Amino acid sequence: MSNSTLSSTLRYIRIVFFILLGMIVIYFWVAPKALTGTILEPAELAYDFDLKAADKNVRLSDYRGKVVLLYFGYTFCPDICPATLGTVSQAFESLGQRAENVQLIMISVDPLRDRPEILGEYVTHFHPSFIGVTGTEEEIAEVADSYFIFYEAREGTPATGYLVDHTTTLMGIDKEGHLKLLIPFGATAEEIANSLNFLMR
Amino acid sequence: MIIKKVFSIAILAMLFATACQPKLDAPQISVEDIWGRPSPKVASAGAFYMRIKNTGSQPDTLLWAGSPACGTAELHQSTMSEDGVMSMQIVEGGSVVIPPGETVKFEVGGLHVMCIDKQADFSLGDSYDLTLYFEKTGELNLQVEIKNP
Repeated sequence: MSNSTLSSTLRYIRIVFFILLGMIVIYFWVAPKALTGTILEPAELAYDFDLKAADKNVRLSDYRGKVVLLYFGYTFCPDICPATLGTVSQAFESLGQRAENVQLIMISVDPLRDRPEILGEYVTHFHPSFIGVTGTEEEIAEVADSYFIFYEAREGTPATGYLVDHTTTLMGIDKEGHLKLLIPFGATAEEIANSLNFLMR
Repeated sequence: MIIKKVFSIAILAMLFATACQPKLDAPQISVEDIWGRPSPKVASAGAFYMRIKNTGSQPDTLLWAGSPACGTAELHQSTMSEDGVMSMQIVEGGSVVIPPGETVKFEVGGLHVMCIDKQADFSLGDSYDLTLYFEKTGELNLQVEIKNP
């Protein structure tokens, strides 16, 4: 090959290379991030519970039109529950104005100790919009069952009293009341915000 | 003459070397980044997290934790099952071994000091005394910082 042909070929290759590189960069930049969690398909209507908050009765259907995150936990839980509620709170904050369209409801798996007022004070500490609900043992059992949530009281120490093992997955319900997304424990605030955006569509 | 000199230098060198020998056969415990989440008093149990490092050549055991911020403190472990069920219990024997050359992490979803019967609201920026008692190292008086992760 003559010199001029070689250099123009090289230049051609260089141009193509940078175009490809540019395309790859743009792809990763605008590509939607993978969702953390399990999408349920088909998404069925979530069980409409009727439970007690500190100052009123709360039904899931009261929040039709908003995205609802359900979390099953209890106030004696020192590690996992504060971690989850803290992370969801951060996710809500990151949504800014859009956080008006989301609602977190914590359902107590310890109805014997978690009285409604205590629950209310507990959840609002993490975010002023959070709601905590409880009910009779039978009511809680029925709701947990409907969401396939496992929970079981176990013996702790004399100091702790009994502890409750429980499923730590967040239930993501869309604006029409369908249970659509299961978010595992350990999801970061960013991942949860991403999931909320998905549910808000 | 020379032999005497060499000999005395050798003795001095040996004494020097012995004096500078690092203490063998002992643990060397340090505790870093002790923190807990902000939480109201109505949340009667809290958790303290930290990293416990042992740069020595022998293990040590954390036997006990105490703080004026807690009615009682115990060492607990959270464990997650495959299907996302979290379970928490006091550590076996109530104590945690810190092996030589290792760092044992007390972190969310794992080991933690459970602060039972909180005596106050834990607010962002607060700091509380925490005493950790080790079998060999003895008592360490430390501070827990209340902050967001």
